[in-house]
Amino acid sequence: MQNQRIVRKRKRELSLTVGYVLLLLGLTALVFSILFTLSVLALVGLGITFWGSLLLFIKPVRYVKSSLLDSTTLSLLTTINQVIEESNSKGKAIYLPPKHLEEIRSGKVFISYEKGSSVPPPENVAEEKVFSKNPKGMCFTPPGVALVNLFEDLLGTSFTKVEVNYLQDKLPRLFIEDLEIAEDLEINVKGSNIHLRIVGSTYRNLCKQARNLSNICGSLGCPLCSSFACALARATGKPIIIEKTEPSEDGETVEAYYRVIQE
Amino acid sequence: MAFPLSFWDITIWLVATTITLLITAELISPYYGRTNLLIDKKRLRKAVLVMEILFLIIIAIRIYGITIAP
Repeated sequence: MQNQRIVRKRKRELSLTVGYVLLLLGLTALVFSILFTLSVLALVGLGITFWGSLLLFIKPVRYVKSSLLDSTTLSLLTTINQVIEESNSKGKAIYLPPKHLEEIRSGKVFISYEKGSSVPPPENVAEEKVFSKNPKGMCFTPPGVALVNLFEDLLGTSFTKVEVNYLQDKLPRLFIEDLEIAEDLEINVKGSNIHLRIVGSTYRNLCKQARNLSNICGSLGCPLCSSFACALARATGKPIIIEKTEPSEDGETVEAYYRVIQE
Repeated sequence: MAFPLSFWDITIWLVATTITLLITAELISPYYGRTNLLIDKKRLRKAVLVMEILFLIIIAIRIYGITIAP
């Protein structure tokens, strides 16, 4: 771990050093080419200056280690898991659509105390109470809301105005190229069932650890699975359930199955 | 003391550099964490875009020089 950190730091410092050295060499070559009127030296100087400044320009922005991300999130997920366990909830987590919410960009997930998938009426959810009496259960902010709001900000749209097809088109690029949180992402829709396949997610270690939390993996979902459930709830306008999540043995691939509840 | 390169010398250099940069930006791995070279891919693409625009401007000037200007 310590060695990896040192190697990474060295690489970053090396990129910077090489950039500055090239820039200095290039500028020197340019000055000499003007002084002695040497066209070849001017071309060389121009090239070296260009690559030096380019190397400085494309140096990476500050990255945060994924282990730090996992450590920050895991304790919060453990707390949620403990609360659900203590409440003896038997129902699955139901991601509520925007019509149940006072503010569209907020999100709510309902977990019933009893088995089944009864959805609380919008007026009950709007009261902003955690514990609901009709139907009995609890209602709270899911772990993926902030993430889905970030997706919307980056895509410059609200998922309430789009269809599921839009998510199929835009989310893979957002996950792979813009946010770089996965190596591959596939979304398949079959009627009211939606299948999500994430390969090489930055949350894979968190997923591994969250598997021990019975109410998180497969019901509420990790932040990534939860964010997709929130996105689906907004796009379909209907409640969403995470049916199951299946991580591969090596943890590289996570498959999540969602279902749209027909009200 | 004068800069020893003419406009057309710089043009040739710019064309060669733009093509190299464009190929580099397109061939670079789209996945994170798979490379040892630490670079910001998006910034590289922006740099390529600027170079491409310069390239096209130069082409336009060249075409203008051949066809319209005496």
